[in-house]
Amino acid sequence: MNVQVLQEVIRRSALEIRGDGKAGGGLVLAFQSLASLFSRDPSMHVQEWPFFGSARRGANIRSFLRVSRSPIQPACEVTHPHVALLMDEGAGRTVDFAQGVPLGGTFILNTRRSPEECARHYRLSGRVVTVPGDELGAKCLKHAIGNVSTYLAAALAIGGFDGGEVVRSFLETLRKRRIPDAIVERNREALEASAPAIRSGVFDEAKANDHAPAPFEGYGDLPVGAQTQLRLSQGNRTADYAPSGFRLRFEDPSLACTGCAHCITNCPEGIIRFQPDEVRGVLVTGVDVTNFCKLCRECIAVCPEGLFRQVPFQDVWEEAAAT
Amino acid sequence: MSARGTQDVVRTHRSTPSGERYEGVIDLERVRARHRPLYEKREAITADGNAAAAIATLQMWRCVIFAGFPITPSTKWIEMVAAHVASDPGGVRRVKLPEAEHAVADYLVGAAAACRDLVFPTATSSVGLDHMTETTRSLGASGLGNVMIVNVYRATANFPLCIEGDPSDTLAHRDDGFIQICASGKQQIYDTIVQAPCLGMHPDVLTPTMPGYFGIKDSHRSAKFLVEPDREIHAFQDRWMQPCPLPGLINGDTAFGACVTSRHFQGFKVDQKRRLERTIDLLPEVAADFETSFGRPGLAFFDETGWPEDGVAEVAVVGMGPDFGTFESLRDRYERQSGLRVAGVALRLLTPFPREQLRERLRGARVVLVVNQAHHFGRGHITLDVVDALSDLAAPPRVVSVFAGMGGADVAEATWTRMLDHARRALDGTPVPPYAVFHEGVPV
Repeated sequence: MNVQVLQEVIRRSALEIRGDGKAGGGLVLAFQSLASLFSRDPSMHVQEWPFFGSARRGANIRSFLRVSRSPIQPACEVTHPHVALLMDEGAGRTVDFAQGVPLGGTFILNTRRSPEECARHYRLSGRVVTVPGDELGAKCLKHAIGNVSTYLAAALAIGGFDGGEVVRSFLETLRKRRIPDAIVERNREALEASAPAIRSGVFDEAKANDHAPAPFEGYGDLPVGAQTQLRLSQGNRTADYAPSGFRLRFEDPSLACTGCAHCITNCPEGIIRFQPDEVRGVLVTGVDVTNFCKLCRECIAVCPEGLFRQVPFQDVWEEAAAT
Repeated sequence: MSARGTQDVVRTHRSTPSGERYEGVIDLERVRARHRPLYEKREAITADGNAAAAIATLQMWRCVIFAGFPITPSTKWIEMVAAHVASDPGGVRRVKLPEAEHAVADYLVGAAAACRDLVFPTATSSVGLDHMTETTRSLGASGLGNVMIVNVYRATANFPLCIEGDPSDTLAHRDDGFIQICASGKQQIYDTIVQAPCLGMHPDVLTPTMPGYFGIKDSHRSAKFLVEPDREIHAFQDRWMQPCPLPGLINGDTAFGACVTSRHFQGFKVDQKRRLERTIDLLPEVAADFETSFGRPGLAFFDETGWPEDGVAEVAVVGMGPDFGTFESLRDRYERQSGLRVAGVALRLLTPFPREQLRERLRGARVVLVVNQAHHFGRGHITLDVVDALSDLAAPPRVVSVFAGMGGADVAEATWTRMLDHARRALDGTPVPPYAVFHEGVPV
């Protein structure tokens, strides 16, 4: 397996980059920042655009970027990217972010995990770059958003820029958007903190056809009630809209529930569990967070007894458990 | 109104066959002088389609009042305009955000009728355009060529709700009476919006304009394009935008709301159709001046690719929008692999439809593959127009109709290849269905 030299790809044809993440997670910002960085070279042609599957915060989204020294004609989506970026591990549960990437491609992940762990878990063959963008965002920007760190990681992985130019371009983009100076300065801190946190390695963990694009097999039956089926399908699990790393928890060991039913009536997904109760009318017994809890926090806001909480939650990977 | 203002109005009031005019109430030179340029020199910038559209409107000194109601994917247009206007406190420009799209259209009517030498733009999409329909249909007949609705294409059907861009909104509004022009890519979006009011406000046309581009695929796609200095934009537009009377059969007081006699109304409808059709004659003149001014092609009836000098092609593709670029990128390869001459046109002027120009371009094709990207009850909006355009030929090419990209779906290279293969079947007379639907290279 030869690792692709991305500068060589740009010299020969068009560099294609694809990213997966969640709406509101910084993916589009990261790609726009990369587009601005490449556009500083007057001879470079850039095409950057997002794909929104749903207009809901937390829904899976994709971003695409083409870079070439020749005018870019194709308008179709990038299906065999040279670089695949995973902005949100939650998105990685429902899509194969590495789909179509040829052997020797580059993978950039916003994660606390190591490149080796990621290579094994996602079965990646090529160069794997990781950066804990959400953590750094929370620390420097007061917001767990990984666009700054992943932008830097991607720019450095692609190469051809000096570090100062990568930082200047990003900050200039913010200033053009009239972002207040104090926020710009925090972004500078996030960029500076990201550089030493980037880890990379070359791995060969993919098996044949691991990431082969799945052939389109039609839209399937869309009978009466198809919208309801769509709503209930695994492909529309609103639980995946929740911020990664957190989960809703209901605890009522002393049976403090008053039966006010505010949580039941306010939950947009209808996932509050309850049973009839002679005294209270109803007694809330729990919440089914399996598929449709998107952590909208309505129940947390309305419960007079404070029985709902948002608690940290981390997927346990086999690799991590083994080590 | 102040006493002095009243005196000014009285002094300038004049009755004309075209309605009441209040000459000099708006001092156009002062409005022009207060314009704050965005660009002093030509620059290459990288921005998305909505930004390109916003920049073009902000560069026009005649755009003083911007009305809008946000709807995805057109929202960024009004956001960007509003941010710019807000950055110039004390400036002459104003942004109006009425309570809904219908109110926006009504607002445009009043403002445009009162200030016929200024341009009144808005942007909308999908059901936003539908919501304007009562007024857009009236606007189409109004003679208010200084109204410009930038239509950022998005599917109109909202069950189930989605934000993806297909042109079913603009194609459903073919009969509103607007001049509809499709742009693809940032440069075309910018250039089209600069030229559109020159068509609409021409005294022979006086028809509102609806430049448009694909939502998400173009509205949210960033690329590099050239912006021109404001003064050059002004010089170009001022050559085409002259004092703008309303059409002769009706005056400014009765264009909206008040009744007229049947005879006047019927005459007005005939005149509306004639004015719209004059776009066909005017468009090449505006385009030629644009090219002379800025050194790149101006408006066109359609863009062409791959046509040999003799105009003969085995397969000719008719499409529109950015997905046509994917066809262009694989056309050479497909020609080499198939041994066929393959050419294409991407439609720009949708309404009025350039039937004679298209007929002449397609005359030498054996099979015409029409790619429709919006829901239609039959073979497709574009197919019907193409079939009509070719109907005058003694031996018209076979027309193969397909649908792809509906609901804003990606039109991949594999899909284009499959559609071209499908069209090839018609070359030897093999029957093909009235239409076929493709996605991801698969008939569905």
